[in-house]
Amino acid sequence: MKEQLMARTFVELTDSLVADFDLMDFLHLLTARCVDLLDANAAGVLLADRDGVLHVMAASDERLRLLELFRLQNHEGPCLDCFHSGIAVSAHDLRDEVVGALNLFHTAPAPISPTAAPFAQALADVATISLLPQRTTKRSTLLNEQLQTALNSRVLIEQAKGKLAERHHTDMERAFTTLRAYARSHNRRLPDVARAFIDETERLPGLSSGNS
Amino acid sequence: MIPGSRSARIQALVAEQAALRGARVGVLDVCTAAVAALPVVGAGMSAMSRGRASHPLCSTDSVSQQLEELQLTLGEGPCVDAYVLGSTVLCPDLSAGELQRHWTVFADAALEAGARAVFAFPLQIGAISPGVLDLYSSSSVELDADEVADAMAFADTATLLLLDARISETGVPFDTSASGTDAGAPSTSATDLPGATPFDDLGGYRTEIDQATGILMVQLGVGFEEAFIRLRAHAYAHGTRISVVAADVVAHRLRLPPDTTPSDTQPPDARPPEDEP
Repeated sequence: MKEQLMARTFVELTDSLVADFDLMDFLHLLTARCVDLLDANAAGVLLADRDGVLHVMAASDERLRLLELFRLQNHEGPCLDCFHSGIAVSAHDLRDEVVGALNLFHTAPAPISPTAAPFAQALADVATISLLPQRTTKRSTLLNEQLQTALNSRVLIEQAKGKLAERHHTDMERAFTTLRAYARSHNRRLPDVARAFIDETERLPGLSSGNS
Repeated sequence: MIPGSRSARIQALVAEQAALRGARVGVLDVCTAAVAALPVVGAGMSAMSRGRASHPLCSTDSVSQQLEELQLTLGEGPCVDAYVLGSTVLCPDLSAGELQRHWTVFADAALEAGARAVFAFPLQIGAISPGVLDLYSSSSVELDADEVADAMAFADTATLLLLDARISETGVPFDTSASGTDAGAPSTSATDLPGATPFDDLGGYRTEIDQATGILMVQLGVGFEEAFIRLRAHAYAHGTRISVVAADVVAHRLRLPPDTTPSDTQPPDARPPEDEP
């Protein structure tokens, strides 16, 4: 039953919100669960930068076309092309500022069901909670800086995806999966692995050994 | 860049300072504009690198200059932390015991130099992080969320200026009528190009630009910073938007020619002739 799956998902997600968790990996997991739970074909978490421009932080599918689709919403709204209905659930922080959006895409033109809507909002709220500043001991951390770090983490991941895809002659989706699998199996944060892969400060077996 | 956005407003402030100076836009203009716009007394910037030696780039007064030199010499301070952590470091009051324990030598030395509050903002685009912008005040002061966002926009502007300053040094074939480029000085030659916008559209079209940077690292066999500079240089040289060039690179519709004279190995006297004043 969906409710059981929902409950399991919230346990899984909240369990991941431990100290020092990997935000990028967490948001990716969240979008994957949105697809499972809300019968969406794709889901993405977008964050607004200080100019109000939305950037994809995580998507259930890293293919470029899909990222373009999310991006296009900055200009044209969610109704596009082969995706007939998109639902944008806005994410507010505690001061009630909109910091981003959770977007769901469906290939069939079906409105989100009344029972699914609160789930979608709840998932958006979990995404928001994951973004709230974690007070560190030596520095006061504002939401501003948390968003800055998140946006820069995503830039790191995109740079690493480009390098890995080109080196391994593969696509962006597979490059992302490879990076994420490496981070998970070595118990490291995705942006840290991405940075090490880009600046070649260390050997990452399986990633560094390309046939370039 | 979105007209009316924070980035646009900050970039206009920086350009204003350059106009007052009667010079091309450089990183010093970022510092003077930041001091004029924010509740701080001075600003300074340092070029930072994991591989090479870090060095101060510019400062608006002698206290700022001392702060830059202190941090680079001691290897500790907000600017060092901002660089290593890749995030903003805000210290409204250096005399707080907590901070004195964290920076045992720097905190006292900075207070003695006349700085009470210090704020450090990393210059970064993913793995590309050419330096740090430092702001200071002689009295204890807090920056509110809006001021922090402004300071971050100043830092982003400085990042692009620093990277663009290297375009003229890379030896990339550069079809430009620009003359009198003072080589070595952190200024952008891109502003001289007809139709080229110095800050371009890094906002809403990030994904391909970042992916293209990674792709070019492999195709050209260069570092990430060089790859990004080559991408921008190509866009400037062809009067195209960087997002368009990036999309072509990602789709493998475009391959940039390999550069035979990478800037890192190029001696100063081997710069292209147009760099001579």
